[in-house]
Amino acid sequence: MRLLPLAFTLLVATILGLGVTWFSVTHSRGLDVVRAGAWQGWPRAGTAKADPYARAAFARSGELPLELADGLLFLAAADDAGKPIDGRCETRIVGVLPQARLWTLTLMDQDGHLIANDAGRFGFTSAEVVYRDDGAIDVRLSPRARAGNWLPTGARPRLKVALRLYDAPFSFASGAADAAVLPRITQETCL
Amino acid sequence: MTTLDDLREEATTVAGRLTRRAGRFIASLPRPHLPRPRLSRPRFGSPAQVLLFVAFAVVLGAIAHIVSILAMPAFAERNAYARLSERMESNVLTLLPDPSPQEQVLPMMDPAFVSAVCLYDLSEAPLKVRVPATADYTSVSFYTAEGLAFYALSDQAAGKVIELDLMTARQKAALPEDEEITAADRLVIESPALEGIVAVRAFARERGTRAIVRRQLEAATCTPSN
Repeated sequence: MRLLPLAFTLLVATILGLGVTWFSVTHSRGLDVVRAGAWQGWPRAGTAKADPYARAAFARSGELPLELADGLLFLAAADDAGKPIDGRCETRIVGVLPQARLWTLTLMDQDGHLIANDAGRFGFTSAEVVYRDDGAIDVRLSPRARAGNWLPTGARPRLKVALRLYDAPFSFASGAADAAVLPRITQETCL
Repeated sequence: MTTLDDLREEATTVAGRLTRRAGRFIASLPRPHLPRPRLSRPRFGSPAQVLLFVAFAVVLGAIAHIVSILAMPAFAERNAYARLSERMESNVLTLLPDPSPQEQVLPMMDPAFVSAVCLYDLSEAPLKVRVPATADYTSVSFYTAEGLAFYALSDQAAGKVIELDLMTARQKAALPEDEEITAADRLVIESPALEGIVAVRAFARERGTRAIVRRQLEAATCTPSN
């Protein structure tokens, strides 16, 4: 009589523990999250001081994280209002980028795959984007061709945007990135 | 009518007599010796017992979670090192195909960059990494076999050619003293692991320059020294 509830508790505990592990390695990239608007960065994930959650997540995904001395990655899966970025909508990424030797902006689907398109365009870099007069960028994510810096979304329901700052100033590493200003993401009309 | 009433009356009296007799029979049976439940232990199903099991499950679950998170780097079968070792030999720098929607050798690679990787094995000898800087941003990053980044250097910090010696702490300690003087521009990096990955990334400014950058990276090498 006493053995059955004990076995049941053990089973529930194991499922609970491994379930939380699965969730954290698939949804998180470490504990040291810095936020700047809709963007999230993990500066310590690319150092020898990476926390166990970052190590576990990268071991599972097979990703080689950007070493912090090389660059810093920011991810955004939602706009400034917290709504997931929908590829069937018009989304604009507007703003001045922080000081860095170069930056790249990459559009991916929910699982991190590039989105196939005829133009073979997966993102913009600091070298090829068209800047506004005030030095800001204005990138448009849209399922239909648009003038200016257009990135085709392939009408995917969920999108993820990666912003990589290479040779960025050190202040990002020390957690000051919370105050840093990254481009704003806003969603406009939907189809 | 009356006969039916009589019958019903008789039936109830018979039934009553039978139940009384059955009750007496059961009472006369020898009783099994049951221990009285102790008052200190809550009965199964009581709120205290359920709470105890929940607390037990939470603590055990937390332990299972922490152990599995800590063990994952050592037990992950599809980490970067495993994926790369399927397609290349150790101590040879190999250019990776450009990431595309159909194929990415490793997840989350920057499509604006040309990448080359080298799986190193320091058990025999230290490794020499030589990367001629391309026209644009070029960097060399070092990872352990478990995917932990431990060092990176870009062309701006290194100059025209990035030259690095990767070795274990023991190999570094065995270096002759005077060698550091003869090779002033030699950069020695200590690896925390015997095996790992060297990743070389070079920025391709435009799509047209990709082929040139690829050709320049082909000149990069990673070879065991001596």
